[in-house]
Amino acid sequence: MARTITVEGDVNAIDTRNLLTSQGSVTAPSLVVPAGMTKIKKIIASGCADGLAAGQVVFLLRLGGNAVLNGEQTLVFGGEGSIAAQAGSDVAPSLGSLFVLNDADIDVRPSDTITIAAEMAGVDIGDAAVAVTLVYGK
Amino acid sequence: MSKLYRSREGDVTAVDTKTQLTTLGSETAPGPLLVPAGAKMLKAIISTFASNFAVAADGAIFIRLEGPGLPEGPESLTIGASGVAVATGGHGSFNASRTEMEIPVTPANEILLFAEMAGEDTGTVSVGVTLEFVL
Repeated sequence: MARTITVEGDVNAIDTRNLLTSQGSVTAPSLVVPAGMTKIKKIIASGCADGLAAGQVVFLLRLGGNAVLNGEQTLVFGGEGSIAAQAGSDVAPSLGSLFVLNDADIDVRPSDTITIAAEMAGVDIGDAAVAVTLVYGK
Repeated sequence: MSKLYRSREGDVTAVDTKTQLTTLGSETAPGPLLVPAGAKMLKAIISTFASNFAVAADGAIFIRLEGPGLPEGPESLTIGASGVAVATGGHGSFNASRTEMEIPVTPANEILLFAEMAGEDTGTVSVGVTLEFVL
């Protein structure tokens, strides 16, 4: 049996820890690990920036809070780069890649709260949107 | 069995230059990346990078793992390549990839992470690396 939680948020500044606490139309989904779930089995993450600034970043995911038994876990899940376009030109869109980590195997404590945060590291490329899904299991 | 994930990132700004990855976003000085106590092996490496496309050129990116946390000696891993034809308007996303390794480690000892750009100088490249340890 598996349970999921998906959160998303904006990452609009470089080297800044951004808590992901919303879920689109649901502004405050529960971040309590479901009863009986003892592992994060999978992580699915994606991020993409608008490229309105010239730079390059890697996206970081931080999993912490009281529910994560072995302390905060940090993972990279993608990157993006952009150079300022010529005036009047059309720049191709950038499609954020989908990172899927199977068998993540991170120990968590059920009925306790997890914190999910994202960052851009490198040189600011504008505003980014990030979404993360955790799949819990036993 | 469970897993622990430790990450570092940094910017590579010159070709053929060994560049240590020492930061972690908002943590500018996270300290040495130590093999966690009880870790049996480095199970996998998750890596990603991004170029700023500032130069019309092409380059490949690889990382190096060194330090006393690796009893069998240093390792290296290709993590990707990028290029652009004109230095005006490049824009792209880059995947993160996971590579299974099963490299022996020495708990409580440091692993140093480095990245390099090879080929041509493509501008500045940000590199992020996550080490996946098995307890």
